[in-house]
Amino acid sequence: MTAVSRRRSTLQILLLSAGFFVLVAVSVASVLLVNKAREDNTWVVHTVETESEVANLLVDIRRAESATRAYLLTAAPQYLSEYESAAARIPAALNHLQMMTADNPAQVANTAKLKSAVEQRLAEFALTIERVKNNDVAASVDILRKGTSTDALEAIAGIGRDMRTEEDRLLATRTATADKTQVLASSVTIAGSCMVLALAALSLVLLRQSSRARDEAEARLRDSNVNLETIVDERTADLREANEEIQRFAYIVSHDLRSPLVNIMGFTSELEELRGDIFKRIATLNRTASLAPAMPEDATDVAEPELEGSDKQLSDDFNESLGFIKSSIAKMDRLISAILNLTREGRREFKPERIDLRELIGGIVKTVAHQAAEADATIEVGTLPKIVSDRLALEQIFSNLIDNALKYLKNGVPGEISIGGRTKLGFAIFEVTDNGRGIDPKDHQRIFDLFRRAGTQDKPGQGIGLAHVRALVRRLGGTMSVASELQKGSTFTITLPINWSGKNREKAS
Amino acid sequence: MSDPVTIIMIEDDEGHARLIERNIRRSGVNNEIIPFTNGTEAVNYLFGKDGSAVERKNQALLILLDLNLPDMTGIDILKRVKENKHLKSTPVVVLTTTDDSQEIKRCYELGCNVYITKPVNYESFANAIRQLGLFFSVIQVPPASL
Repeated sequence: MTAVSRRRSTLQILLLSAGFFVLVAVSVASVLLVNKAREDNTWVVHTVETESEVANLLVDIRRAESATRAYLLTAAPQYLSEYESAAARIPAALNHLQMMTADNPAQVANTAKLKSAVEQRLAEFALTIERVKNNDVAASVDILRKGTSTDALEAIAGIGRDMRTEEDRLLATRTATADKTQVLASSVTIAGSCMVLALAALSLVLLRQSSRARDEAEARLRDSNVNLETIVDERTADLREANEEIQRFAYIVSHDLRSPLVNIMGFTSELEELRGDIFKRIATLNRTASLAPAMPEDATDVAEPELEGSDKQLSDDFNESLGFIKSSIAKMDRLISAILNLTREGRREFKPERIDLRELIGGIVKTVAHQAAEADATIEVGTLPKIVSDRLALEQIFSNLIDNALKYLKNGVPGEISIGGRTKLGFAIFEVTDNGRGIDPKDHQRIFDLFRRAGTQDKPGQGIGLAHVRALVRRLGGTMSVASELQKGSTFTITLPINWSGKNREKAS
Repeated sequence: MSDPVTIIMIEDDEGHARLIERNIRRSGVNNEIIPFTNGTEAVNYLFGKDGSAVERKNQALLILLDLNLPDMTGIDILKRVKENKHLKSTPVVVLTTTDDSQEIKRCYELGCNVYITKPVNYESFANAIRQLGLFFSVIQVPPASL
C-alpha cells in the first residue's frame, strides 16, 4: 500500500518535471527558431535589395549613356545636366553594391568586374562629353559608329545579368531556408504542445487513480475506527468485569481468612489460660514437693506463684512464643481489615456533586488542628478551584495526604504544609506540599503500593493510605504523582477533572 | 418459674462454636446448647417437617446465628424466624466476622436483637460472649407471652 502510493507520487513528480522540461524546451526552441526565421527573412530581403540595386545601377548607366548620346547630337545643356546627375549617382551606387555584396565572394568578383567596366564606360562618356564641349562631335560620332561602345555596354549588361542570376539563386535558397525554419518552428511548437497535453492527460489519470486510492483508504480507516471503538468498548467491559471480579475475590478472601483467624486467636488465648493453669500447678507441685508451707487450693487464682530455675525459663519461652503469635495475628487482622475496607471503598457508588475544595480542606485542617499543634506545624490553604466530584472520596484523599504530611515531618523543624490548586484544560490540579523528611526517588513508586512503606519506620501505619488515595483518584478519573527528595520535603500532585460525570476514566475519554 | 432457655447455635465453624460455648459456660450460663453446623439442619429443627414451627411453639429458645453458612445465608434464617408467628419473639444474636455497616443495619431491620462481630481480639470477643451470658440470665422468656 505505502510502496504503491510512494511509487505513484514519485511518478507524478517525474511527470510534472517532464512536462515542465518539455515546456521549457519548446519555448527555447521556438524563440531560437523565430530568431532564425527573422534572420533568414532579413537575408531574403537583402537579396531582393541587392537585385534592385543592380537593376537601378544598370538603369542609371543606360540613362547616362542616352544622355551622353543626346548631348552629342543636340549639345543641349539639359542633356548635359541629366548626364551629370546620372554619372554622379553611379559611383555611389557602385560603392553601395560593393558593400552589400561583401558577404558573397562570387558577387564580390562580379562587382569588381562591373565596377571596372562601368568606370571604363563612364570615362568614355566623359571623353565624349569633353569632345562635344570642344566641338569635336565628328570624332565622337566616329567612335559611335565604330560600335565599340556596344561591346562595353554588352559587357556591363552581361555582368548585371550574372549578378542578378546569382542573386536569384541566393533568393531561392534563402527563401527555402526561411520556409524550412518556419516549418520547423511550427512543428516543434505542435510537437511540444502535444507532449504537454499527453503529460497532462497522464497526470490526470494518475490523479484520478490516487484520489480513488485515497477514498478507499479513507473508507478502510473509517471501518477500522469503528472496529477499534468496538474493540475498546469490549476490552473496557472486560476490564471492568475483571476489576469487579478482583474486588469480589478480595472481599471473599479477606472475609474467609478472618474465620480461621478468629479460631487461631481464640484458641491461642485458651492456650494462654491453660499455660497459667499449668505453670501454677507446676509451682504448687514444686512447693509441696519441697515441703513449703501449704497453700489453699484456690489461692492459685489470686497470684502467680513464683517459679524457679528451668521452670521459669520454660514459662518465659512459652510467653514469648505466645506473644509473637498474638502480635502476628493482630497484624494479619489489620491487613485483612484494610483489604476489606479498600474493597468496600471500591464498591461504593460515587455521587458527583459541586464541591468547594477550600471549604472541604478547611474542615479537614480543623480536625487535624490538634495534631498540627503537637507537631509544631502550620497548614496553609491557598486558593482552590470548585469542582464536581465525590465529596467523601475527596475528603479521604486530602485527609490522608495531610495526615501523612503531618506524620512525616522532620524532627526538630517546624512543619510547613501548604495546599494549592489551579485549573488547566478542564482539569483541576492540586498540590499538597510539605517541608518534611521527603521520600527517596527510588521509593516514589513503592509508596503507592498496598502495604508498602518507605524510609525510617518510626511511625505507626499499615502502608494503606497512599494506595487508597491513588485508587480513589483513579476512580474519580484523575491521576496523581509525587515529587520529592530525601530531607527536602514532598509535593503530592493530584489532577482531577473539573466536571467529573461519574464515569470512570476509560469511559470518559 | 419459667422453662430454661435452650440455646440454638447455628455456626458452621466448629472452632468458633467451641469458643462460643466455652465462653458461655465460663460466664456461668449452663443452659442447654444445641449446635448446628449448617443451615438446613437448623431450619429443619426450628421449623419442623411442615415448616410451620408449630413444634417450637411456646419453647424458650435463643438463637445464636452465624451469617456465613455453607448452604444458606444466616440472613434467610433470620428472616424466616422473624416472620414466623411462633418464633418471632425468640431472641436472635447474630455472630459474624463482618463488620459491614450495611449488613449490620440489614440484620437489625430484620429484627435481630444483638449483633456481635467476631473480633480477632479475643478479649473483647470473650467479653461480648460473657455479656451475652448475662443477657441470657436476665431475659426470661415468659411462655404465656406468645
